[in-house]
Amino acid sequence: MRLSRYRFEILALVAIVVFCALFVFTSSRTGNAEFAGSDTVGSSHISEITGIAEGQFRPLVGQWVPPGREIESALFALQAAIGGICVGWVFGYWKGLKEKE
Amino acid sequence: MEGFLPWQWAVLWWLVAIPCLALGVRELKRVLSLDPEALPLLGVTGGFVFILSSLKLPSVTGSCSHPTGTGLPAIAFGPWITAVLAGIVLLFQALFLAHGGLSTLGANLVSLGIAGPLAGWGVYRALRDTRAGMFVTVFLACALADLSTYVVTSLELALAYPAQVGGTGSSLVVFLGIFAVTQVPLALLESVVLVLVFRYIVQLRPGILIRLKVFPEGKIMAERSEA
Repeated sequence: MRLSRYRFEILALVAIVVFCALFVFTSSRTGNAEFAGSDTVGSSHISEITGIAEGQFRPLVGQWVPPGREIESALFALQAAIGGICVGWVFGYWKGLKEKE
Repeated sequence: MEGFLPWQWAVLWWLVAIPCLALGVRELKRVLSLDPEALPLLGVTGGFVFILSSLKLPSVTGSCSHPTGTGLPAIAFGPWITAVLAGIVLLFQALFLAHGGLSTLGANLVSLGIAGPLAGWGVYRALRDTRAGMFVTVFLACALADLSTYVVTSLELALAYPAQVGGTGSSLVVFLGIFAVTQVPLALLESVVLVLVFRYIVQLRPGILIRLKVFPEGKIMAERSEA
């Protein structure tokens, strides 16, 4: 009975574990998989069909590029943090409201 | 992959995206003035779009991709408001991460902000008033929103880059193999997590979901009394 209360949490946990297991399995089977972004794979496919080198493709609007992978990952983390703050703030606010009622 | 979309296509997708954005902004104003509790709900659902689209997750194809998170706001607010949320995320990624690009923002809006949410919302609307379970509906809507985003991305690229042999059709198959297949496990995982989030919203603030007519009151209250 108590377990069924948490069935969605358990389901989510199982899904995450299966997802990780799947990752470990595929990465062990395909030894040379680089886990590049699917956008990178797509880009190289386009350069294949057009015969134009990937570096030749330039954005129409000039773009600031993060100088280095570390900075890029910091900015991605920042994006996740902004989302996390929104979500946490609202759930906290709602929980407070519920307790007051 | 910035700079890959030919400018004619970039312009075309912008022309599709702009009216949807305008509709979204109008809808957003209306909803927010109608109900003060809509803003927190927008914060939670939009927050998850921010979080999920920042994660690059590995997949069975040996490459990585992002979940989208757009199913939840599409269910709560409809596809047009979701397009505005997606626009904010895409602008952030284009400006600070060189991810997505500015001229191609229109094309990305069409896939992430419009086509995906529209597909998810369509499933949700089809199932909302049937006997289908609320959480099953949310799951299917979120999964479809995620997947069809990448199906449309593949379509956008296949239209711009038809294969020499077989044209757009065979090019589409290749791009689907790159984007959509990678996306399947991510879409499933994302949807399980979003169902959990939706359940928390039902438990904490069922009132706003009932007022926005997200689901019939009976379904929401049945779930709540069980908790």
